[in-house]
Amino acid sequence: MLPKGARDRFAALLGPGNYLDQPDDLKLYEYDGGVDKHAPDLVVFPRTALDVSHIVKLAREYRLPVVGRGAGTGLSGGAIPREGGLVVAFARMNRILEIDLEDERAVVQPGVVNLDITAAVEGNGYFYAPDPSSQRACTIGGNVSENAGGPHTLAYGVTTNHVLGLELVLPDGAIVETGGKECDLPGYDLTGLLTGSEGTMALVTRVTVRLMRKVELVKTALAIYESGEDAGRTVAEITARAITPVAVEMLDGVMLRMVEEATHAGYPMDASAVLLIELEGLREQVEEQVEQIREACLLCGAREFRVARTAAERDLLWKGRKNAFGAVGRVSPTYYVQDGVVPRTKIAPTLRFIAEVARSSGLTISNIFHAGDGNMHPIILFNPRQAGDLEKARGCGEAILGYCIEAGGSITGEHGVGMEKNELMARQFPPETLEMMSRLKLLFDPEGHLNPGKVLPTGRGCLEIRQQPLTAGTPLL
Amino acid sequence: MLKPRTVEELAEMLARPAKHARTIALEGCASKRLMGGPTPQADEYVTTSGLNRVLQYEPHDLTISVEAGLPWRELTALLAKHRQMIPLDPPYGAVATVGGVVAASSSGPRRRLYGTARDVVIGMTFVTLEGKQVRSGGMVVKNVAGLDMGKLMIGSFGTLAAIAVVNFKVVPAPEVERSFLLPFDSLAAAIAARDSILRGVLQPSAIDLLNPAAGAALGNRAWLLAVCCGGNTAAVDRYERELALLGNGVAFDGERHDSLWHYVRELTPTFLSQHQHGAVVRVSCTLKELQSVMEFLPGVALARAGSGVCYGYFERTQDAALWLSSAARRGWKGVLEFSPEEWKQDVEMWPAPGGDIELMHRVKKLFDPENLLNRGRLYRRI
Repeated sequence: MLPKGARDRFAALLGPGNYLDQPDDLKLYEYDGGVDKHAPDLVVFPRTALDVSHIVKLAREYRLPVVGRGAGTGLSGGAIPREGGLVVAFARMNRILEIDLEDERAVVQPGVVNLDITAAVEGNGYFYAPDPSSQRACTIGGNVSENAGGPHTLAYGVTTNHVLGLELVLPDGAIVETGGKECDLPGYDLTGLLTGSEGTMALVTRVTVRLMRKVELVKTALAIYESGEDAGRTVAEITARAITPVAVEMLDGVMLRMVEEATHAGYPMDASAVLLIELEGLREQVEEQVEQIREACLLCGAREFRVARTAAERDLLWKGRKNAFGAVGRVSPTYYVQDGVVPRTKIAPTLRFIAEVARSSGLTISNIFHAGDGNMHPIILFNPRQAGDLEKARGCGEAILGYCIEAGGSITGEHGVGMEKNELMARQFPPETLEMMSRLKLLFDPEGHLNPGKVLPTGRGCLEIRQQPLTAGTPLL
Repeated sequence: MLKPRTVEELAEMLARPAKHARTIALEGCASKRLMGGPTPQADEYVTTSGLNRVLQYEPHDLTISVEAGLPWRELTALLAKHRQMIPLDPPYGAVATVGGVVAASSSGPRRRLYGTARDVVIGMTFVTLEGKQVRSGGMVVKNVAGLDMGKLMIGSFGTLAAIAVVNFKVVPAPEVERSFLLPFDSLAAAIAARDSILRGVLQPSAIDLLNPAAGAALGNRAWLLAVCCGGNTAAVDRYERELALLGNGVAFDGERHDSLWHYVRELTPTFLSQHQHGAVVRVSCTLKELQSVMEFLPGVALARAGSGVCYGYFERTQDAALWLSSAARRGWKGVLEFSPEEWKQDVEMWPAPGGDIELMHRVKKLFDPENLLNRGRLYRRI
């Protein structure tokens, strides 16, 4: 519930049409792409950084939590207001402010859709590299918050490697710029610290990104396997041969059938796994690498290796991959997707473990993931109306993430910690590390207004690190 | 000089003096004393050079974890045995430690393709003045669990905490590397050639620009583009064919390739060893601005022309400082990157920090409220 008078103050600040406060409307903002839900008390639509500054100042006066939101495609609850309060939706800050091809940069507002940057520059032969599966919908602001990845980050790196400057609104309303168009500015890399801070330290109001030159030749290959483990071993074999594809995606048999039925992308219905491998670069290089990859795949037991002959065939293969989560919806009422990472050489045993978890829980778990960098996406299918299934699904997810930690990996490769995995942070990191993260968060947000209850353990479990509760009147500086 | 052998010892050797508000100077092997702000007169001196183990290296995972005091050359030699690399190409690479390279965010020619420390460091353990061991990131190449605190340490000159362990992602070394030296009569012609490379499909790992004074030692008093390319033989042959269209260049491989890049990479150490009062300025600029910056630099000058970083060499530090302040008036973002100790107190090293300097001060205060650690090393602003 909003405190008395707050709604009117926001209404006066923003004007009609720039906020939502009716329960039916608010309900549309209670979820993201994950499984958690919580509605805000008010949704506001700023148009400028100054609007955002006024909003956070007023929110501070009323001690309201403030949660930034792009397109709501996140998978860890980052854009959901765990404790109610305010959602700052960046849908109207969606302009590309500058395209500067000569300097290989674009300056955009946070609400710009990821793929729209590429769309704006591809005619000139450029692209924006990070390509999360949701790139047709997800926004750059959300990408920066979560440090989003995607299939091609294997070669090109994740969001943090492509963001050079930010304009930020701090919780006290101050507007600050970090970084810029130039590389290697002296001083602490605040842009790097804030990218991936999941909206807990500042709200991003402008982003300067790197644009890259499109390559000469792209080859997309499909390797088909009778055994998932053979596919897993292939990834290590490719590395051993010092080949660097731009993407190596794996889909297991369950996923293949779901995807093929939904998209008719040309995936085999009877296989146990496929690898979708993409190579990019100069013609001479790529043509040789395709043959090296073919050899590696066949050596590891692939029953077939085919290369997309046309751009249309290639697009279809990727359509299948990128729409996979949608395809799951045709088969299962809902699903829970995980995002653990393991060292590349541990992919095969991790797949075995996931299969074991599926067997013992009785739930179907399908795998579609960025095999090239060990970023697993087990998709746990369940029926939320079946009593106990959600808990069972969460239990499976936790077991798998526990395994990833033990294997020397991480609980999240690109989806973020959010409100979904924050209690697990204490299993991955020692208390000193969590305490330092917490102190850095509080340095930017001393009263804990921004995205409370995210990233760090809340102490609701058996953990000692507690997030500071909201307290009024503490001076910010 | 305190020389801890374990991370625990390092923690103790920082926490003990810090508790008594004693100042601490932290270094790897001090190869870059001329770099950054003054080397502080401190109550305690701590070197990480005793922390020199390789902790974990599984070549097929394409990752490696090493302690901060490991000599950079040992790290690169180990990787080279497996035909892998971390292509940062730092100056002072023969003597520097891993921790020093990262703390100074040293980089070199191939940054155009491979990036800098912020792109290749995937995890870190650093030790705070409270003696706490903080871990950031991990041993996998994709990881967004919690804040990327390692980013703060990169380029921090040891002003926040002591880097104890660094985890890198590594890349396979290219099958063949070849370089090309293209001479041009004018800066404008060299920039035009650079633009044509950047707009094309070739993806050289390095595009460095040397002015005639910098090129003189290579026996060529012209504007020179030094381009490095990697790949299979067919690809590298193609680079050669297509780059030949841009100018009347020479191709190098083998020893001549190595010695070219050794010269370029080590230009700063070489210059400073020859000029006792010399200084080096570094300007970060856009690709468009690069031509003006290079034009404006009076002496030996070198640019990472595909990234927008220019280095200007001055025989007298006061000239470098004067130049830097006039560059700042033009809106260029520069620092006096290297200078002799005796000048460091008297000249402005970082004339125009951005609006985020206040936040940086707050970060410093969080880690080091009493300003004990490497005081002033960050271009005397922090």
